[in-house]
Amino acid sequence: MATFVNLLSANFRSILRDRIFLAILIVALLFFLLVPSFSLFSMRQVQELAVTLCLSTISLLLLLVSVLQGASSVWRDVEKRYTSSLLGLPVSRATFVVAKFAGIAVTLVCCTMLLGALALPAISISAAQYPSDIPIHWMNIIGAIGMDCLKYILLSAVALFLSTVSTSFFFPFFGSVAIFFAGSASQEVIEYISGDYGKSLTPAAKLVINIVYYLLPNFSAFNLKVAAIYGLPFPFKGALYTFLYFIVYTSILLCLSVWSFTRRELP
Amino acid sequence: MKLKAIFLILLISYGAVVVPFTDYLRNRPVAVKLGYTPDARILKIASADHCSLVAQLAIVKVLFYYGTIVEKFTKKIDLPVEHHNMFKTVNTALKLDPYNMDAYYFTQAAFTWEVGRVREVNAVLDYGMKYRTWDYYLPFFAGFNSAYFLKDYRKAAQYMKNAAELSGDPLFTKLAARYFYESGQNQLGILFLETMRKGSKDKKIQSMYEIREKALKAVSLLEDAVVRFERERKCRPSDLSELVAANILTEIPVDPYGGKFYLAEDGKVRTTSKFAFGGKEK
Repeated sequence: MATFVNLLSANFRSILRDRIFLAILIVALLFFLLVPSFSLFSMRQVQELAVTLCLSTISLLLLLVSVLQGASSVWRDVEKRYTSSLLGLPVSRATFVVAKFAGIAVTLVCCTMLLGALALPAISISAAQYPSDIPIHWMNIIGAIGMDCLKYILLSAVALFLSTVSTSFFFPFFGSVAIFFAGSASQEVIEYISGDYGKSLTPAAKLVINIVYYLLPNFSAFNLKVAAIYGLPFPFKGALYTFLYFIVYTSILLCLSVWSFTRRELP
Repeated sequence: MKLKAIFLILLISYGAVVVPFTDYLRNRPVAVKLGYTPDARILKIASADHCSLVAQLAIVKVLFYYGTIVEKFTKKIDLPVEHHNMFKTVNTALKLDPYNMDAYYFTQAAFTWEVGRVREVNAVLDYGMKYRTWDYYLPFFAGFNSAYFLKDYRKAAQYMKNAAELSGDPLFTKLAARYFYESGQNQLGILFLETMRKGSKDKKIQSMYEIREKALKAVSLLEDAVVRFERERKCRPSDLSELVAANILTEIPVDPYGGKFYLAEDGKVRTTSKFAFGGKEK
């Protein structure tokens, strides 16, 4: 356990020292300063636009961090031969992979908390400029930010899995970006083919689409932005199911990552 | 020393170039174009979980474009307006985010008076009512459109009743009863425009409503003068200038859209501008 905590801590600190990570974080922080000004572009929904901007900024930053860190962490360690020296110590490959993932997950949680803490005053200031008919639903906003965090932890697990099977940085990077877009649209596609359009498809095509739908991580379920922006009732039941889905899917990906990494020949 | 001399020459050259350069940029012809917006289905996939942001960006793009058109119009520069493209862009935005109030507000502001697409606007508002179930503005807009443009008072009363129930404000039912049956259409229009103008924080949209309000007030003034003329002379004036000759009006009001008021064959006061930006569109 102590080895795991040490590795986690080392991974976390190495991410914090990453210059690209710091640059992304600084840009996001500056953007929050501009939210009250940008939200004035709206005619009738200044507060709603402020919430939209804040949630989108958080989401975009977490996307970049999860993909970059998830795709590069194992690849970088293998490339720089850290794995050779580290795994020569009494550290199992499973501990190494899970600690890598935990380091990224802790970073994502810390980023979410920091950005969330900045988003709340930015929204308050914007809303005070031109009060909306809809009161600010803080719990919905916090809930949406929390679900975003889970989504990008799941995406980082996807990127990590791809990085354990690949010898290059590009495959896990572009692969996880592609899976992110596909996983965000899969629900739309399945609902679309359930309608009239689906009648024109062959049963084999429908089967393939269904298989892909169940294989891909469903990221759209984590998107609770509309409820946060417009103060709609928060879907607690849906959020619970999504949380359980997150636990199971992430665990499966971690198992696959460990299995793949233990079978890999390292330089 | 040589380097310093080169640097000095370059600095002087910069000074010589920058003045005509910035002058050119300031006076270059500005292409006021809305541009192409991809299909909503493609945007939905491409924007992933940023649908609300992309929808808002599309609306802001339309607002900037329309604001430029209004601004140019107030400076007496007539530009053709891409109404179809604006409507398409707003519809795309609403498919991405059906809750976006800016989109509904703009649809009501730009596509009823200007282009007369009232049925399409009411269809958009009906779509919005399925999502913004708490918002009384949408049935209020649709009620006004039904009464003022479509003369469908029964439908208008239903919308206004809906607006009254949602807002808890009996003003809407009063509006339905009083203005639909007792007042003239222009009075209803003026009242609606006042409400819309006060509800907007966008200066260009406010300016658009002010122009429209001014035009309706002028029409109202002229129609009242025609009625007075008929009462006093027991005949219809053949031309609006007769109202001035009969000392009922001191002058014919100016059409803020740049047209000229005239008395149509059906007895209504009309204008050559057809109350539209960008010329004679209807």
